[in-house]
Amino acid sequence: MIANILDGIVLGLQFGLLAAGLTLVYGLGGVLNLAYGQMAVISAIVITLALSAGVPVLLAVALGLFVGGLAGLILDLTILRPVYRLRGEPRVLLSLLLTLGVSFIIDGFLNWRYPLETLSLRIPGEAVEILGVPMRRGSLIASAITLVTFAALFGFFRYTSLGRAVRSVIQDQEGARLVGIYPHRMLRLILVLSGVLAGLVAVTRSMVTPVDAQSGLSITVFALIVTVVGGLGNVAGALLAGIILGIVSVIAANLIGTYISLIILLAAAALTILIRPAGLLGVKE
Amino acid sequence: MSEKLANNSDASPLETVGTHDARSLAALFIPLALLGIALALVPLRLGDSRVLMGVAVLGLTYGCYTIGFNVIFGSTGQLFLCVGALAGIGGYGAAILADTAGLAIWASILLATLAAATIGGLLSYIAVRRSLGVIFTGIVTLIFSLAFEALTLGLGEWTGGDTGLSLRAGADTFLQERIPPYYLMLALLLSFLLIHGLLRRSHIGWAFRALRDNEVAAELAGVDVARYRVYAALIGAAMLGLAGSTYVFTEGRVSSTTFGFGEVDIVVLVMLAFGGIGSLFGPIAGALTFTIIDEALIQFGQLRYVAYGILVIALFLWMPRGILPTISSFWRRARGPKQNTVAKPIQSIE
Repeated sequence: MIANILDGIVLGLQFGLLAAGLTLVYGLGGVLNLAYGQMAVISAIVITLALSAGVPVLLAVALGLFVGGLAGLILDLTILRPVYRLRGEPRVLLSLLLTLGVSFIIDGFLNWRYPLETLSLRIPGEAVEILGVPMRRGSLIASAITLVTFAALFGFFRYTSLGRAVRSVIQDQEGARLVGIYPHRMLRLILVLSGVLAGLVAVTRSMVTPVDAQSGLSITVFALIVTVVGGLGNVAGALLAGIILGIVSVIAANLIGTYISLIILLAAAALTILIRPAGLLGVKE
Repeated sequence: MSEKLANNSDASPLETVGTHDARSLAALFIPLALLGIALALVPLRLGDSRVLMGVAVLGLTYGCYTIGFNVIFGSTGQLFLCVGALAGIGGYGAAILADTAGLAIWASILLATLAAATIGGLLSYIAVRRSLGVIFTGIVTLIFSLAFEALTLGLGEWTGGDTGLSLRAGADTFLQERIPPYYLMLALLLSFLLIHGLLRRSHIGWAFRALRDNEVAAELAGVDVARYRVYAALIGAAMLGLAGSTYVFTEGRVSSTTFGFGEVDIVVLVMLAFGGIGSLFGPIAGALTFTIIDEALIQFGQLRYVAYGILVIALFLWMPRGILPTISSFWRRARGPKQNTVAKPIQSIE
């Protein structure tokens, strides 16, 4: 049981990280970015190319994250401009449809140009025992990266004035503008951040399963599900939802079987949405 | 949705795609007959090639899917991202009923269609009960799609898993000859169009428009929003199930990609958006255009998707209501102010 829960937490942290970038952009900008998984794939391909060119691992990863952030910036400067002019549900819908188009473009290009490039950052070394359970090093390092990332995110939002400025925009855009914060600048910052987070998703995921040009859609879809279960726009909710869904998924996989476990995971997500449409930690509007 | 997105254009938000139809039935039957004749002539040109006829049959099937999706999403604003799954319930259901249970083909199609309609209605009922908005309905039905895909892969002994099933039923009948399947799907397509056209003229269509334009106002005016949403889902899902199950018999095989999310849902969404969400003939324009473009660009492989992506973005930026409504409103404007129909909610109530 302990093994199940630990494995579940490892998977859950992955899920949580997956959702973090998506949920931030939604919470701050009312933008649902369906090209999120493709941004992760871009980072993965950049890292793969850099590694095969002989760049050291850490530098390659840094380059991948930089390109992820750049992708976010480009999205903000181009395709999202018309979206920012709308409000409410039309805004979400237009953002969703336009970024769907972006995801086609990225997917099509990457599948055409780099169909075989696959990122899998294998961490060598023996399994490490935690509470008597042997854990793979790759999963542990991925989890550590995720935890550090979340700690940094929480710290940023709680203790830095820039982070507080971002939160103030989430709470009340007009109010934030009145006290001298530019909502659009905050939004741009968050899009860059979400691109970097997408890059991190590619890195941590590739320590456990390979990431290639076809991975985009499934990353986006799972990120979306975890985001909604956690409560749109809620980073802590994303982490909580990720961990719960991870544990559910691992326990179901060990008790029953693999494909049923996916269905149980999906059913759990659907039930949460139906029972609490605002998400686990969401606040009803 | 189309209207909401159109708010940033010069169109009046009250102007709806549906209200421009002339009242007479001729306005429905004449275009329908012309479309039928035009499409019936296609095998004269392509009939020699089995491959091209296959593409044409698939195009018609996607046209049918798009009409079904249009009835659900276009008429009542329920974003059902489970078009492939509902069609797949029809397709896999009919295949299993006919091959494993040994039912007659028509009976298995009928049962599978009923199953798809039931599940579609149920999904809509849940969404309505929990009053999920567009996005949340989309997410819940997306989850349903993924669960269906996992099921078809997991239940290998029933569905053949990744490789899929080769059907014995219907193997040596007209269903798998070169030309007849085309006319079968064409008949299906035209009857779907007819049903949707008649629906739009009935009190049900009036209720659909009312609740799509303004849910609260419709409810206040006495439209049972919940009931009409479920009606739309039942009808649309039945169309999807029927098209999916019929297609499976003409194709002679079914696999996990036949009804996959990426293969069906996204394509259908693009086709409908291109043709015009909520318009009667929009789905056909979208399905035909995309089938032709896809066939023309097939040599470019994956690079096609770049073109589609650019197309989708351009579409939603410059003609969010779709190509047909944009052209027709341009046409009306060009014909002069007499025909210029701006918001006329009163006329549509008559």
